[in-house]
Amino acid sequence: MIGYVCKYTPIEIFTALGVETSRIEPDVTNFDQADTLMHPNMCSYTKAVLEDSISKDYEGIVLTTCCDSIRRLFDILKEQYPDKFIYLLDVPRKVNDFSISIYVKRILEMVEAYEDYSGKRFDKEELFKLFDKQLKERKLEENQELKNVERTEEERQENKINIGLMGARCSKGILELLKKSNVNIVFNLTCTGLNRDYVLVHDNILFSYASNLLNQFPCMRMQKATNRENYLEGLQDEINGIIYHTVKFCDNYSYEYTHLKEVIKKPILKIETDYTKQCAGQIRTRVEAFIESLEVTANLNKKRSIRKNTGDDRMYVLGIDSGSTSTNAVILNEKKEIVAFHVVRTGAKSGESAERILEEVLAKANMKREDIDTIISTGYGRVSIPFADQNVTEISCHGKGANYLNPKIRTILDIGGQDSKVIKLNDKGEVIDFVMNDKCAAGTGRFLEMMARTLEIDISELGPISLDWKEDIDISSMCSVFAESEVISLIALNKEKSDIAHGIHKAIATKSYSLLKRVGLEGEYMMTGGVAKNPGVVKAVEEKIQDKLFISKEPEIVGAIGAALFGLE
Amino acid sequence: MQIIKKYGEQIKKNVDANPKKALNMIKLGLDYENIRTKVFPDKGLPRAYQKLNHMAVNSTLKALKCPEKSVWTNIFTPVEIIQCFGLNPISLECLSSFISGFQCEDYFIDYAENSGIAPTLCSYHKNFIGAVDSGVLPKPVFSVTTSMVCDGNINTFRYLTEKHQIAEYMLDIPHEYSIEAESYVVEQLKEMIVMLEEKFQMKLDMNELKETLKRENESKAYYKQFLKEQIDRYYPNTLTMNLFMLFATHLNIGTKEALDFFQLLAKDIKKYPKSNGTSLFWVHLFPYYQETLKSYFNCNEDYQIKACDLNLDYMEELDIEHPLETLAKKMILNIYNGSFERKVELVSQLVKEYKSDALIHFCHWGCKQSSGGVMLLKEEMKKLGVPMLILDGDGMDRRNSHDGQIKTRLEAFLEMIETGKDDIDDRLCV
Repeated sequence: MIGYVCKYTPIEIFTALGVETSRIEPDVTNFDQADTLMHPNMCSYTKAVLEDSISKDYEGIVLTTCCDSIRRLFDILKEQYPDKFIYLLDVPRKVNDFSISIYVKRILEMVEAYEDYSGKRFDKEELFKLFDKQLKERKLEENQELKNVERTEEERQENKINIGLMGARCSKGILELLKKSNVNIVFNLTCTGLNRDYVLVHDNILFSYASNLLNQFPCMRMQKATNRENYLEGLQDEINGIIYHTVKFCDNYSYEYTHLKEVIKKPILKIETDYTKQCAGQIRTRVEAFIESLEVTANLNKKRSIRKNTGDDRMYVLGIDSGSTSTNAVILNEKKEIVAFHVVRTGAKSGESAERILEEVLAKANMKREDIDTIISTGYGRVSIPFADQNVTEISCHGKGANYLNPKIRTILDIGGQDSKVIKLNDKGEVIDFVMNDKCAAGTGRFLEMMARTLEIDISELGPISLDWKEDIDISSMCSVFAESEVISLIALNKEKSDIAHGIHKAIATKSYSLLKRVGLEGEYMMTGGVAKNPGVVKAVEEKIQDKLFISKEPEIVGAIGAALFGLE
Repeated sequence: MQIIKKYGEQIKKNVDANPKKALNMIKLGLDYENIRTKVFPDKGLPRAYQKLNHMAVNSTLKALKCPEKSVWTNIFTPVEIIQCFGLNPISLECLSSFISGFQCEDYFIDYAENSGIAPTLCSYHKNFIGAVDSGVLPKPVFSVTTSMVCDGNINTFRYLTEKHQIAEYMLDIPHEYSIEAESYVVEQLKEMIVMLEEKFQMKLDMNELKETLKRENESKAYYKQFLKEQIDRYYPNTLTMNLFMLFATHLNIGTKEALDFFQLLAKDIKKYPKSNGTSLFWVHLFPYYQETLKSYFNCNEDYQIKACDLNLDYMEELDIEHPLETLAKKMILNIYNGSFERKVELVSQLVKEYKSDALIHFCHWGCKQSSGGVMLLKEEMKKLGVPMLILDGDGMDRRNSHDGQIKTRLEAFLEMIETGKDDIDDRLCV
């Protein structure tokens, strides 16, 4: 089995040689080996391929000169596996007759190297037959598809959300996630979503093959990558939004995202993955929230079970926000009045804290489980709450909760224990845009907890003492690990705790400000989440945005209020 | 230093409301430096480096003052051709370094990141994008980039030239040398020359190009002489001068000015005393602002950085009779192009040739091509018995270099070289 990564790889050559090929789709849990053999700051996909190559027994791996990280991967693999067929194929970035003929020559060099390695012989007639067979099969399929047109029409009537997928290579995991989210993927322009239906010219098989390869929908390494945008023009009306995927430490696609964001009229969600299993949770939240917001804009509100609200019929709904640090619950009655609320710390298992909070909030309200009509869960752990009737993402819930508390709010800054996000609302209180920080603790509640621990003070003191600062200190590292060592150095320099705390809060404010700027600054502002209880952070953010932040009495329960409101609807 | 920080803060304050004013402040600062480096050069520096300092400031200032004559490049672009059109090449890396010199890189980097550019991208690129998009850096008359070495080149230049409507040419440089690869590049050079000729309404004077290449050969010969002389001499330098060498070895190579500099370098070194300080070979970029590194390597006879692979990335003699072919070869066979095996080989050769006692590899934030091969280089250095230190940081964004970490790593490494030159503890090399 020959492993390969890039869509420009001439894999059919190997098929014609009778050799099986497999596109490397790694799914790893860590980068232990890759971090040692390469460097932690390499593209995550590359590191994952390295981990995958170590764990699986490929006969050989064919890479292309697609990017810097892959070029270095080749160097490492060649060194690690001198007996395997590790080959690097140089793919031209320009497409013209000269570059195609150079590519043909390079493919032939690769064939020769493989022939030497394996003893097999390549026959270009076999390659031709292969594509000829494919062509016939495809025609058959197309005929069948024509018969199935009615079915697609049915699908259309289902009012599914139509999305386009773009950006860096998309793993199976993301595609599965989208399938589960019940959306219709109109196109997948990432390099794992393209067909290879070429028609070869018999007189010049290899040239037409190389030409077909190089003329695929261009990836960002190619000179003519700007043509990518043209493709979108005809399809914009077909989609409700675009999901734009990037890979951590692969920078090439962020350029296109930056550009598209400016020129495309459709909403775009950027998601970043690192090819580990762990990133699924956060991606799920984002994708679901994005789809929800598309549903709002497309006025596709699903039928919700609306209970009749007669004068005598009392009704109670419970919203539970299961966050990474705290679990919060709110009970609302039919008049949208808060009957009771409660906050507990989320333990190691979100399900258990949900059980506990259910018990405790019911006790506070002096009610029984049967009195509650609907339970809506939200937050990271929303899917782990077995007794919830429905779950909604925290993004939509924060939007709703904020609108309930203060209808003038257009922008919400939510800093929780594990992430921070900015949510933008329209005048109806519907979510129109949002951004989240990356998979990183910088600027979150966890970050503040770490810093408080380093300063040896209680987290609740951190805010108040920072207000008494005298010396203006800058904490330059945004990474929580680096920032911690920076704080330690400041302690070693005998700096005052209040000054250091002020510096920490300023760093958080800077990070939040850049998130706010990404959705556009628009008042009035509200801050939610546990960190909103820290007056130091609130002040630092207010100074940055030069505006007031609306802080509700219990900033932690805004999400739970929103969830309960969803229940009432 | 405090003054520069204050000045930088003022520049940053002006960007939002009045980017032109921010640019004027940068120009004013450079004007001052330009005069200072010419009239009151740094007394602590040897004469050749005083000249280099002035050359660096002056080239950058020219690019900012006469955008209608300046061409954006990267450091591998064949500037020799651009010079023959009477244009001033200015590389993205060098411009970014100067902005970081004013301590306002954080503003521009954040600007780019806030617009969607990946935070993991090389800081030179992010800073450049931020400085252009915020309206501070003026539009050049043309732009030439190469595909070699760094992924960012194609993407950054394409992004900016499309967005700001700047005429451009991209050279696709193959990974390995072959006759076809050479002609592929030559054809592109010809195409680029036609574009330049049409745009500037003048023919490229091949004789002038040949003269330029001749000066380049002479310059490199002087540089080699200097490096040989320097093996057992102490010629004071600083991290900044090491970085500025790129202005002589790349951006201005082939000019009369660069030739004068190299000539002076080769002559001047002979006046300097013999010395047996530790000789270090540096791989990749210099974080010229980094306090600990400055305290160890700026004008310190005990620890001298004597050479850097970036300045020695192609030292073969150019074939003056075949200017385009030789320039094509220069790019394809650059030490940074092709497999890392080649780089390891060439660095080993240089380390032996210049009798370096140790090697420091600086992993610049976002630079995958250099960081990714660092363990291969380390393996080879181990075989050669040359201690190697890997430092992680950022060539220009102060926020990505952590002084505490760099200090501990560097001091442990230097202690290790000092105490047991024959018995190297491998664990300390990382």
